[in-house]
Amino acid sequence: MVKFTADELRRIMDYKHNIRNMSVIAHVDHGKSTLTDSLVAAAGIIAQEVAGDVRMTDTRADEAERGITIKSTGISLYYEMTDESLKAFKGERNGNEYLINLIDSPGHVDFSSEVTAALRITDGALVVVDCVEGVCVQTETVLRQALGERIRPVLTVNKMDRCFLELQVDGEEAYQTFQRVIENANVIMATYEDPLLGDVMVYPEKGTVAFSAGLHGWAFTLTNFAKMYASKFGVDESKMMERLWGENYFDPATKKWTTKNSGSATCKRGFVQFCYEPIKQIINTCMNDQKDKLWPMLQKLGVTMKSDEKELMGKALMKRVMQTWLPASSALLEMMIFHLPSPSTAQRYRVENLYEGPLDDQYANAIRNCDPEGPLMLYVSKMIPASDKGRFFAFGRVFAGKVSTGLKVRIMGPNYVPGEKKDLYVKSVQRTVIWMGKKQETVEDVPCGNTVALVGLDQYITKNATLTNEKEVDAHPIRAMKFSVSPVVRVAVQCKVASDLPKLVEGLKRLAKSDPMVVCSIEESGEHIIAGAGELHLEICLKDLVDDFMGGAEIIKSDPVVSFRETVLEKSSRTVMSKSPNKHNRLYMEARPLEEGLAEAIDDGRIGPRDDPKVRSKILSEEFGWDKDLAKKIWCFGPETTGPNMVVDMCKGVQYLNEIKDSVVAGFQWASKEGALSEENMRGICFEVCDVVLHADAIHRGGGQVIPTARRVIYASQLTAKPRLLEPVYLVEIQAPEQALGGIYSVLNQKRGHVFEEMQRPGTPLYNIKAYLPVIESFGFSSTLRAATSGQAFPQCVFDHWDMMMSDPLEAGSQAAILVSDIRKRKGLKEQMTPLSEYEDKL
Amino acid sequence: MLYIIGLGLGNEKDITLRGLEAVKNCSKVYIESYTSLLSFGLSSDGLSTLEKLYGKPVTLADRETVEEKADAILEEAQKSDVAFLVVGDPFGATTHTDLVVRAKKLGVDVKVVHNASVMNAVGVCGLQLYRYGETVSIPFFTETWRPSSFYEKIQRNRALGLHTLCLLDIRVKEPTLESLCRGRKKYEPPRYMTIGTAIEQLLEVEQMRGESAYNEETLCAGFARLGSEDQMVVAGSMKQLLTIDFGAPLHCLVIVGDTHPVEEEMLGFYTLGGGN
Repeated sequence: MVKFTADELRRIMDYKHNIRNMSVIAHVDHGKSTLTDSLVAAAGIIAQEVAGDVRMTDTRADEAERGITIKSTGISLYYEMTDESLKAFKGERNGNEYLINLIDSPGHVDFSSEVTAALRITDGALVVVDCVEGVCVQTETVLRQALGERIRPVLTVNKMDRCFLELQVDGEEAYQTFQRVIENANVIMATYEDPLLGDVMVYPEKGTVAFSAGLHGWAFTLTNFAKMYASKFGVDESKMMERLWGENYFDPATKKWTTKNSGSATCKRGFVQFCYEPIKQIINTCMNDQKDKLWPMLQKLGVTMKSDEKELMGKALMKRVMQTWLPASSALLEMMIFHLPSPSTAQRYRVENLYEGPLDDQYANAIRNCDPEGPLMLYVSKMIPASDKGRFFAFGRVFAGKVSTGLKVRIMGPNYVPGEKKDLYVKSVQRTVIWMGKKQETVEDVPCGNTVALVGLDQYITKNATLTNEKEVDAHPIRAMKFSVSPVVRVAVQCKVASDLPKLVEGLKRLAKSDPMVVCSIEESGEHIIAGAGELHLEICLKDLVDDFMGGAEIIKSDPVVSFRETVLEKSSRTVMSKSPNKHNRLYMEARPLEEGLAEAIDDGRIGPRDDPKVRSKILSEEFGWDKDLAKKIWCFGPETTGPNMVVDMCKGVQYLNEIKDSVVAGFQWASKEGALSEENMRGICFEVCDVVLHADAIHRGGGQVIPTARRVIYASQLTAKPRLLEPVYLVEIQAPEQALGGIYSVLNQKRGHVFEEMQRPGTPLYNIKAYLPVIESFGFSSTLRAATSGQAFPQCVFDHWDMMMSDPLEAGSQAAILVSDIRKRKGLKEQMTPLSEYEDKL
Repeated sequence: MLYIIGLGLGNEKDITLRGLEAVKNCSKVYIESYTSLLSFGLSSDGLSTLEKLYGKPVTLADRETVEEKADAILEEAQKSDVAFLVVGDPFGATTHTDLVVRAKKLGVDVKVVHNASVMNAVGVCGLQLYRYGETVSIPFFTETWRPSSFYEKIQRNRALGLHTLCLLDIRVKEPTLESLCRGRKKYEPPRYMTIGTAIEQLLEVEQMRGESAYNEETLCAGFARLGSEDQMVVAGSMKQLLTIDFGAPLHCLVIVGDTHPVEEEMLGFYTLGGGN
């Protein structure tokens, strides 16, 4: 804490135009955390010299050990721009001081949920891409997620040092590589055309792309060089920037710019001539210790070194020189301050994505205007374990109003429905805290546009929540986050010593809180289940559980198993009917598969329970061929009211239908959560209520009569519609040299995987392979692959889709039937499925 | 042979002579315990007074037994004589027709012994049975389930100047919502709706619909423990009845329609604060 105190920080939090909330996102191992450290170094938390060697953001021992980031961390940075560099800045600002709330998030796909939580509370993203490896699967996943949240990206092409030291490619080749990386990123961004957000593609010549070497602590944008050369060529900076990228060539012999290579030996691309080669020259001079040549060059560039630094040799000297000449922090921070939106700019268009209620009420307006005097709207995106065991900070972003110590807040949980009392608490905030790496500082209050941590609410918030002022009873919550990965891998845990059970139960509760996505549940058999995105995610969760949440009490874990889904292949072979227990009510139903892509549309939240009916009807009729009127007759989605199954009312003129609707919906919620085959979730099934016969008196058609009947008729219609199992499938991306390909193919074959893309990365000896791999086969996949390729192939698995297993689970002895009976056994159910005759009644 | 025997409303002695003879001749006796209850059915030894009277064991048949396991009862009835005791009249307020239908399909002979039911015993207040409209049930409202179809029926009855008998919800051994959904059995504690609750719910629906089918001032008659020694009948406006403690269950309510002078005279005996 050299450069700023909590008070100084708090003061600048009021300048909403001078705040940037941003996340750093990238594929695993593209150098994101290291790069973040150079930024932290500039804000003064750690000394400049150690930047690059100590990863400030990785605060956990296991993160340091594995060299990857697991949890996202937030840090507030402070940066003062010079008048000179702000000259071209067009937006609103309030002085030269800037506050950057930065969130570093994990790059491994298993932790994507952490990224989702980070994106929600930021407005801009620094996308870090390895200049050699290029845009990888996680870069793409996260970038899509970011754009979906209306987050504006800037790009940095990282690990530049590899070009100079490791690969030693010449300037033109390097340019081509960079150009490809940027193009690939832009291809993804171009698919997100959004009139409100504008053009989100990145261009080096506009200053939205930086080139960095995180490990050595240097970076530049074309702005840096344009400034240097603009006066020399007598053109303005923006003109100069354009010349430094793309098809612009300069021949020093003729001193002429051309748009084509003239063919002369001295004619080179602007970027190569004026950016790449000077850097290469400096680096080479340093590495060869040619100090006599170096000092005059540095003097020309206006770089002065301290006398003790002049003693350094080789790599250390090079690092020092480059850091002084092109400090990573100024290049990156200036790029972000210039090109990423302030909360007040961003919330103007993000309000539509954020707020669930009507977009013209006072809450929507307060968010839109980022109004510190408006009603409080705060979204808690994750819970962070505090240093005293068992407690959590609620970490989130203030979108409107102010949150202060002692304030009484309304806590609206994910299941809160406006106007009801479910999942709603009113509690006081004990302390408001701002987060600075390892250190937390208590402040009086935090105004909108900033991130904040709250103490004292952890008992009332499970994973996330919307907070507002006690008296704002008509506020709607902020939309729930959509995760790009699903918890498809699960293990059962039990304690080694039976008396530790209370610790386990409590520990699981805390684990569920600390991770945005992990799901902890109890099976019918009494087993405790933890579900996560993949093997690594589960491993980390189990470690957290034992070490942090159970005080080291030992547990036994089962082998990992995979979640399945239940679906149907065809329409029910007949209309099935079930009678209520008193036989006076009859429900008639049919099941059919949802149209292709509709389940995914529901997953993505494009279609859901809270849609505007007109919009829903439009999407359903235009994209999925539904009848316009039918679209209005969707009763509900499920499970959990948002799942990818639905009940549609096809009845004609049935009296009192509305009175039993809730009972049918309640029965459907549970039935769709626990399907008839193996009590796995259903997916992609549409249940059509065809007809209903009811008792004349309300008491005799109450929940007690209709709910179990709904459940039975749903199961009956599922079983008559050719039920099938769906298994989860990963998209695997593997990068490896050519000689490892044989091994990769044989491992994939053995594991039921199939390759659908194989590409050589231009300019590298590396091959990029994309394949589909059933999740069930992925356990131990990494280690088998490593063994088969002598450690040259590294897979990244990300959940991709659900694949239908064609074998019939109702046919005894089939593969699916065996699976079903295994699942049932594991869950402590009767091994035999309940037969259709138990669910269907005949007249 | 299956005997379906009404027990009447008061106590064990209300059974008819013919009914009692039938019970004594039967090899197995069931008593249905969920759609109503004998006022003595609440205490645990209530059954034993029945058993003493009949001189044989009586099996309690709850909702599940009747609705889901009726086949077992019918099977026995195929071989021997079985008595199925119903509080009130077999075809009174409740729905035992289904049992008869199933028995006939299985070829089991059915004999019915009638008795008093709430549907005729309400005559005690003096309102003529001829002048009653459609009977309605008032179910317990829950957070999400607030059916109000009874409102229209009351409205129609009142438009014709008819009285409306409101049966009040009984929840004995009702499965909880979650267990209903998941198809497992777990029960809520028993609840009986009081006249107070019924009037509150009626007024809530009136306020919501606002079609003034009735209001706080509408004349009603409240009944508690109808047919038993300590039965209680009070007539008054809805507002007045809200303040009265009717005591132990069961309760029911009549919303009074247009009245004949003789009806008024009779009702006067029960009216709060005198009357005529």
